[in-house]
Amino acid sequence: MNAKHRKAIFRILPYTILVLIAICFLLPLLWVLVASVDANAMQSLKMPNRITGANYADVMTSPVNQRAYLIGLIMSLGQAVLVVALALLAAYPLSRYQLKFKKSFMLTILFMTSLPITAVMVPVYQLFLSLKLYDNIFGVILFYVASSIPYGIWMLKNFMDSVPNDLEEAAWVDGASVFAGIRKVVAPLMVPGICTVAIFTFSGSWGNFFVPYILLQSPEKFPASLKLYQFFGQYGMVEYGKLAAFSVLYAVPSIVMYVLSQQFMSKGFGLQGGTKG
Amino acid sequence: MRIGKRRWMLITAALLSISLLFGCTSSKNNNNTPANTKAEEGKTETVKKVIKITYRDDGIGEEGALYKWIKEVAASYPNKNVEIKPTPIQASEGDYFAKIALALKSKDTAPDIVTEDTFILNSDASAGYLEPLDEKLKGWEDWTNGSFIEAMKKGVTASDGKVYGVPYNTDSRGLWYNKEIFKKAGLPENWVPASWDEVLQAARTIKEKAGDGIVPIWMNMGKATGEATSMQTYEMLLYGTGERLYDDASSKWIINSQGILDALTFIETINKEKLGPPLSKVLNGQAGNTASREYLPQGKLAISLDGSWITGNYFEDGASPWPEYKDVLGFAPMPTSQGQAPGSITLAGGWALSIPSNSQNKDEAWEFIKYALGKEYTQKLVIATGNITVRADVAKDPGYTQLPFNEIATEYLKNAEFRPAQDKYPEVSTQIQTMVEAVTTGTSPADAMQKYAQDVTRIVGKDHVMEK
Amino acid sequence: MSSLAGNVLYKKRKTYTWLYFLIPSIAIMLVFFVYPILLTFFYSFTNLALTGEAAKELKFVGISNYVRMFEDPTVRVSIWNTLVFLIGSAVIGQQVLGFLIALLMKRKNKLFRRVVGTIVLAGWVTPEIVCALCLYSFFGDEGTLNAIVTSFGFTEVAWLFTVPMLTIILANIWHGTAFSMLVFQAALDDVPTEIEEAAVVDGASRWQVLTRITLPYIKDTITTNMMLVTLQTLGVFGLIYAMTGGGPGTSTTTLPIFMYNQAFVNYQLGYGTAISLLLLMIGVVLSLFYIRSMKE
Repeated sequence: MNAKHRKAIFRILPYTILVLIAICFLLPLLWVLVASVDANAMQSLKMPNRITGANYADVMTSPVNQRAYLIGLIMSLGQAVLVVALALLAAYPLSRYQLKFKKSFMLTILFMTSLPITAVMVPVYQLFLSLKLYDNIFGVILFYVASSIPYGIWMLKNFMDSVPNDLEEAAWVDGASVFAGIRKVVAPLMVPGICTVAIFTFSGSWGNFFVPYILLQSPEKFPASLKLYQFFGQYGMVEYGKLAAFSVLYAVPSIVMYVLSQQFMSKGFGLQGGTKG
Repeated sequence: MRIGKRRWMLITAALLSISLLFGCTSSKNNNNTPANTKAEEGKTETVKKVIKITYRDDGIGEEGALYKWIKEVAASYPNKNVEIKPTPIQASEGDYFAKIALALKSKDTAPDIVTEDTFILNSDASAGYLEPLDEKLKGWEDWTNGSFIEAMKKGVTASDGKVYGVPYNTDSRGLWYNKEIFKKAGLPENWVPASWDEVLQAARTIKEKAGDGIVPIWMNMGKATGEATSMQTYEMLLYGTGERLYDDASSKWIINSQGILDALTFIETINKEKLGPPLSKVLNGQAGNTASREYLPQGKLAISLDGSWITGNYFEDGASPWPEYKDVLGFAPMPTSQGQAPGSITLAGGWALSIPSNSQNKDEAWEFIKYALGKEYTQKLVIATGNITVRADVAKDPGYTQLPFNEIATEYLKNAEFRPAQDKYPEVSTQIQTMVEAVTTGTSPADAMQKYAQDVTRIVGKDHVMEK
Repeated sequence: MSSLAGNVLYKKRKTYTWLYFLIPSIAIMLVFFVYPILLTFFYSFTNLALTGEAAKELKFVGISNYVRMFEDPTVRVSIWNTLVFLIGSAVIGQQVLGFLIALLMKRKNKLFRRVVGTIVLAGWVTPEIVCALCLYSFFGDEGTLNAIVTSFGFTEVAWLFTVPMLTIILANIWHGTAFSMLVFQAALDDVPTEIEEAAVVDGASRWQVLTRITLPYIKDTITTNMMLVTLQTLGVFGLIYAMTGGGPGTSTTTLPIFMYNQAFVNYQLGYGTAISLLLLMIGVVLSLFYIRSMKE
């Protein structure tokens, strides 16, 4: 009897704990979701008297918002693609060749992955002025690429380590070049890794308002993140409904990216390989 | 899976190329604007000079009063060989100053005209970002014939004695009060407190009689409210004791004095007796708006030590429309501590148009400033924004005086004081905010002042501080 | 790896092909990342300012920015806050909670896993600024949490004011836990079930299996994850800035917030960069510590 009870508790307990955790994670989202469809949204959580799509419609039909959204997408996608392409190339020799400086290089890279970029924004601003890249969307993309490439190299190198080299060698025997080997053999086997890196870099820049805030000046070049930050700071405190609707819309691309790649994500997070290489 | 990946790569590659194109086209567009307008007009052969005006846009873009005003002035501007182009900086008030400083640094990014708050004007002038205007002003009749209120020129004069901007608005500070609440508490509807004690007494009466849920008096007391805490609260109090932040005669900052203690004790009293707002409301960045846009219109606040501009919120197209404000609100002068001469005190701030040293079109910019800040358009601007004018002729104009509180707010300016024209002021100001917040949250005035003394000494150096 | 080097085919390839592959990445990192870091180092010895007299000409001021830093009591407060935030939200919060969720989810119903996993991930995929808004409204005076608290008959609490550090720690846990969860899920999936089962057959308790078999097996993952989470948390700026702005007082002023205030509110860029370097140094020290413990 006692043992049976214990067993039952051990079966139910994990579910109970997980449900509680899930509820805690869900609660903060409630207000944004409810307020975004409330015609008279306030800061407090309340059942809307009238459900409306007007907040969404207002935010979506504004050409200024559309533009900011598009610019944000272009910046983040452009960055993600460049990072994957460059990091894939760089990861290859690091994974396949025995190099003298590799260990220290990889440690430097690992350290660089998480340097707070807030810390270097002032010199970056000066640099952008002298390179005539200030207030230029492509310049912002370049900086994003530079700041997330260490992460890309680190992750992709570790993924590549787990790709066996027999297949690649077989391709070489068939006359393929190193480059073709990467493109046709290695990369396709690393889709989970590539997706992880792409998603990570995408959401990193999609959510960042500080970098464009420093490096851009013309309001018509602002990405969605910066628009939202200003919305939040300025009169967001009055138009809660629209603010909430904008926030939800703004979160959508990150969610879509995640859903698209969900099948690879779990695999993509193995860090074990990284320390064995 | 492989096909899916390829497609994904294709899509992203396509988007990337679009982004590259986009980068190019957007810059091309910018270059094209003057050319396009030239083509439209067809006749002008010389290339138009573009005069860029930079100002703060709080996010409303073409709905903003300044944008509309610039467009209106530009439309009637007789010299058609220049194009007036608004180049707003979208940022919060605090961030705006950092952004303009960044922009003024380089020839590539500096506009031709910039709107400067008088509190940062001196710092930007010391940094060499702004062009002294004295030579130009000599030849401008409006400036020399008394059209500008003389006291207002002090606000745009830097520590080197030169003028770095033409002011276009100003503001005064005082005690806004809700007459309905005053009536309920048995206080005079036409309230003119003669000393700090009378202000505190009124607040105590309200706390006792006006009922729960009504905040007797609101002052910004947090670091988050930035300059509002320094100027509307602390400096209004300190200057009311007869003391100043900076001793002009010896060129030193005053870091230890009875006046500082008195000002801080006033703040301490408000909080000890719970006459002020809940700290969770007043110690965040939205505190100013909470008071003027929510508490005051909703009848939840009796007295608010704030600026003359808050009525701008109550206009039909303002942030918090409240047509009854004309009758419900009163605007009393802030008394000096004991009622000593001059009886009441106010600090004046305001904004000016300046010409950056890095501007490429200084003469054209100057011509435009003269035109825009003549009587007609200055008046339009201050009326649209709910500010006070710096021009004596506008101040007498019925179109201006008919607006409620304009006359009275302008009247307070006769005792107006300005913040020290010192390039260290912005930094000292953040120490003031720290000190005020410390007292608000329970530090004793003496301890808070001691910390202030240390911090200010560190900022300006041992040779530039004094005790009184 | 070492076996690869000896491989004949790899040796046949031109020895320096790898160089070309590294050039673009290294170049872009050097220009836009390493160079600004070096500049940061350089500027921290100058009086660089955004405005005021000092903005006129750049002067070397020796180590006076650093002297000022060690004399500034707010720096000490900021370091302390940074450590509290780091340990509370990253080391304990994200790491332990993420591991707990991953462990509990192991071998559970697939649909259940997916639903719970998605909810936890929602906080992670939500951009920082939206997170700040969500949590701000959650802890706000009239927010969701107070609605819950009052419905149980308690009085409202001004959370953001009375326990600001706790609110930003919880916010960062909400935002970041999913990362650790994913990492640990992947790691736990790698633990061979046979070993664990064998231990159970031998009479080991669940706790013993966890501490003697599972944890040692994923030790390296724990350390690496710890380092990544630590470094990410060290740099958190937007979340705190938007929620509390570092206040009230200095109670949530971490080093990034303090640096921002010095550089962009007080306009003292030189002093600001000295603080950035302090932040970077803390990152280096912690990283070295983790890397060392990984080698053992």
